[in-house]
Amino acid sequence: MAAASSVTAAPRGASSKTESYVDTKRRDDVRQANILAARAVADAVRTSLGPKGMDKMIASANGEVIITNDGATILNKMEVLQPAAKMLVDLSRSQDAAAGDGTTTVVVLAGSLLRSSLSLLSAGVHPTAVSDALHRLSLRAVDVLHGMAIPLDLSDRDALVKSAATSLNSKVVSQYSSLLAPLAVDAVLSVVDPAHPDLVDLRDVKIVKKLGGTVDDTELVKGLVFDKKVSHSAGGPTHVENAKIAVIQFQISPPKTDIEQSIVVSDYTQMDRILREERNYILGMVKKIKATGCNVLLIQKSILRDAVTDLSLHYLAKAKILVIKDVERDEIEFITKTLNCLPIANIEHFREDKLGFANCVEEVSVGDGKIVKITGIKDMGRTTTVLVRGSNQLVIDEAERSLHDALCVVRCLVNKKFLIAGGGAPEIEMSRQLGAWAKELLGMESYCIKEFAEAMEVIPYTLAENAGLNPIAIVTELRNRHAQGEINTGINVRKGQITNILEENVVQPLLVSTSAITLATECVRMILKIDDIITVR
Amino acid sequence: MAVERLFKDEATEEKGDRARMASFVGAMAIADLVKTTLGPKGMDKILQSTGRGRTVTVTNDGATILKSLHIDNPAAKVLIDISKVQDDEVGDGTTSVVVLAGELLREAEKLVNQKIHPMTIIAGYRMAAECARNALLLKAKDNKEDSEKFRSDLMKIAMTTLSSKILSQDKEHFAKLAVNAVLRLKGSTNLESIQIIKKAGGSLIDSFLDEGFILDKKIGIGQPKRIENAKILVANTAMDTDKVKIYGARVRVDSMAKVAEIEVAEKEKMREKVQKIIAHGINCFVNRQLIYNFPEELFADAGVLAIEHADFDGIERLALVTGGDIASTFDNPESVKLGHCKLIEEIMIGEDKLIHFSGVEMGQACTIVLRGASSHVLDEAERSLHDALCVLSQTVNDSRVLLGGGWPEMIMSKEVDELARKTPGKKSHAIEAFSRALQAIPTIIADNAGLDSAELISQLRAEHHKDTSNCGIDVISGGVGDMEKLGISEAFKVKQAVLLSATEAAEMILRVDEIITCAPRRREDRM
Repeated sequence: MAAASSVTAAPRGASSKTESYVDTKRRDDVRQANILAARAVADAVRTSLGPKGMDKMIASANGEVIITNDGATILNKMEVLQPAAKMLVDLSRSQDAAAGDGTTTVVVLAGSLLRSSLSLLSAGVHPTAVSDALHRLSLRAVDVLHGMAIPLDLSDRDALVKSAATSLNSKVVSQYSSLLAPLAVDAVLSVVDPAHPDLVDLRDVKIVKKLGGTVDDTELVKGLVFDKKVSHSAGGPTHVENAKIAVIQFQISPPKTDIEQSIVVSDYTQMDRILREERNYILGMVKKIKATGCNVLLIQKSILRDAVTDLSLHYLAKAKILVIKDVERDEIEFITKTLNCLPIANIEHFREDKLGFANCVEEVSVGDGKIVKITGIKDMGRTTTVLVRGSNQLVIDEAERSLHDALCVVRCLVNKKFLIAGGGAPEIEMSRQLGAWAKELLGMESYCIKEFAEAMEVIPYTLAENAGLNPIAIVTELRNRHAQGEINTGINVRKGQITNILEENVVQPLLVSTSAITLATECVRMILKIDDIITVR
Repeated sequence: MAVERLFKDEATEEKGDRARMASFVGAMAIADLVKTTLGPKGMDKILQSTGRGRTVTVTNDGATILKSLHIDNPAAKVLIDISKVQDDEVGDGTTSVVVLAGELLREAEKLVNQKIHPMTIIAGYRMAAECARNALLLKAKDNKEDSEKFRSDLMKIAMTTLSSKILSQDKEHFAKLAVNAVLRLKGSTNLESIQIIKKAGGSLIDSFLDEGFILDKKIGIGQPKRIENAKILVANTAMDTDKVKIYGARVRVDSMAKVAEIEVAEKEKMREKVQKIIAHGINCFVNRQLIYNFPEELFADAGVLAIEHADFDGIERLALVTGGDIASTFDNPESVKLGHCKLIEEIMIGEDKLIHFSGVEMGQACTIVLRGASSHVLDEAERSLHDALCVLSQTVNDSRVLLGGGWPEMIMSKEVDELARKTPGKKSHAIEAFSRALQAIPTIIADNAGLDSAELISQLRAEHHKDTSNCGIDVISGGVGDMEKLGISEAFKVKQAVLLSATEAAEMILRVDEIITCAPRRREDRM
């Protein structure tokens, strides 16, 4: 019984007019347990922070292995049970949704803030006081970050590439950052709608993964790529110039009704007739298609019946129509948007104005598989496809995740056109300015903010630690340089020293930093306010 | 104590003192459990589900905590019930009501130990409650006439309610949201037309109130993404051909051509249906069920915006706010009421695209879009906002307002004390006890804020001994403060409901002198 066990047996109430004694043992225990659990999660991902951060190998229950450096992915796969630890996992997920990058940073920051809160709590500060101080701190920290930010012009492609490269540098695929960063920038910029310059829908960027080759072979395709073979068992074409493409949602196979049906065959001649009818039926469909001048067919997958049969493939091949079958329904929207055509759900509606046009549709063999590329699309919608290549599945998956982060970074910049220095510079600057601010305040708040200001240093500290540098020497030197007004100095991990990080082109979007700090404080405050865990149905 | 005997499998019976004791202990345990969530500096609880998924909820809302508990003690169940009723009736004060009932029982227990008959205690409590209510009635202010003042009253109430919740830091923002939303309702307490949409990402301050209606769905392919002066048909009908069939029916044919004919006939049927729908003169069609590719294309051809698979709640609300009917047959276009709105367009919130209906028929309708770091934050924010909305909509009808921060309790307690002094007989003990129980509320608020409650309460009592004091506990500065100046207000209706239902619950539990636990039905042990 949860209720009975949680009764602290301190007999008190309005009548006890002597000492105000409150038994808070259990509440403190719960809070401490929560903080410890959450910190354990933060410690688990700590070593993957920064360009020299390590990767984690995760073996999931079904035997699948993932190697990643992406905080959100690691935490997602960890399957933690402790409620407070779960909240940290959610935290990294929300950072992923809000900014797409900085998922490790946010968790490490929250862990460090929790560590400070614990020492504050044990010093006897009331949790709500700590929580209020944190709120004020987060508002102030965001101001500090805004003060450091550098405005950015979207036409400045170099700056965008730099920030995408910063994000990629901490990943497994960092050696390819010079290739992937411009690619990510181009991909995002090509889907920006001039009517809504602040909005980017990353669903308009499709990532197709194909095993084989190396990450070097990853390319941006101005058009569509299908990870599928052309259906040419009947000898249909695999290469079509001046293609007229139809996306169809019906099937070219013998008719099937929704009502259950059976054909009664009573004699041999009837069988012949049925076969002939079937042939005529399909031939009729193919003729209708051919009549519109269509020469490429994309057929939506159907669970009810075969999309094409051998017979229909044969006729389509004769009509010189290239066929790609089993297109998923959720891809249809992307395809129609790209090809600037309309899906056709019935043979009767097959008209020329619903077709899309492209210069070239061809089957290309890559590695051991084949893909279909559609290029030179006329009036192409604002979409882009990225073909990711890699020597094994693990690399491809990681490359995709990294690319996604880079895309998010560019998207952040499109949303909020400010850059900020990377390499721990913003954190040290926040810590310095907040520390100075704490000295102006009075009372409990000042004490808490001073403690939390120091907690911010965890990011440069961890960066240095992961890079094999002496963290204390680095952090103290950083503090010193910032105190002298060089607010853009940060850790140059490649050189192993402290330099002006802007000159090293290590930049990140402002949104990543601000959302990391606001989300981390919000989460820590929530954990602090919990004083009991109740088991319910 | 007989608590452990409560859990026996067989039917048990407890009598007299033991039964009363069991009820007291159970009820007080519940009250103690939620006690720490009371007040602006109250703490939150994690509710960890033992069921599948082990979902975690973080909450400060008394009703939510109590609702999810496993409880076997019958007296504890009574308290949970009153908190539920409080939630349904007025929406806020769910913790207060349980805590007050718990305190009343705690005091009653002492009196019972002093050999005072429960019936005497009940009589005393009744007199006290009546007197306390009159005291509140006298002190309540009504600003209904002055709309400026009334609005500021509402703002204050909303802020007071929200200050004990997760939204406390942005309470002004949310109070404004809630007040605007409720004032749009123009006196109706139908919170249905205020839709709350939760979208993870961003922070709480990014939440906003939107005039109109937002549907979390996608527009079909190839259909217009923006419609002005929309005529909307809301429907619940099958638009997927596989479902158009009679169970067990099958056709026998002797040739392929006939199968094709039937297929065409089926398609034709669907086309007819779509044409009937379009014949309503609509340009937007919202269906609760799936719309398959074929009808979708037909709609696209006709330039009609078709939205498939809107959830049940969604279409009911949509029908309500656009003033349309939910149709399922389309034979009589003139008898179906269409919904109207000025503009339908696709908007983007965070990463998701949503469909926005603005300028809807029912002017009251609006949508509050909540943004927050995680689903926990969002869920809790929704609960808090819901509380505020409930209280506000009640206040719009009953515009009497009281001050907050323990002020009403102190007022009541003072009057009840007066009464105790005037009343002869044993009852006066009970009345005195009632006054002490009332004082427990400010005590707990102070305790939760980490303040010295004994000191503060004595100060408060001294202040209230003077006439017309506005003093209450100022949790922020940690002292006694003027509630009027601090702008802390509560709705009269909430306080009255807390007082009356807590007294009633306490009375009910006090009357018990025997608990009979029936033998449970034979089933595997749940624990």
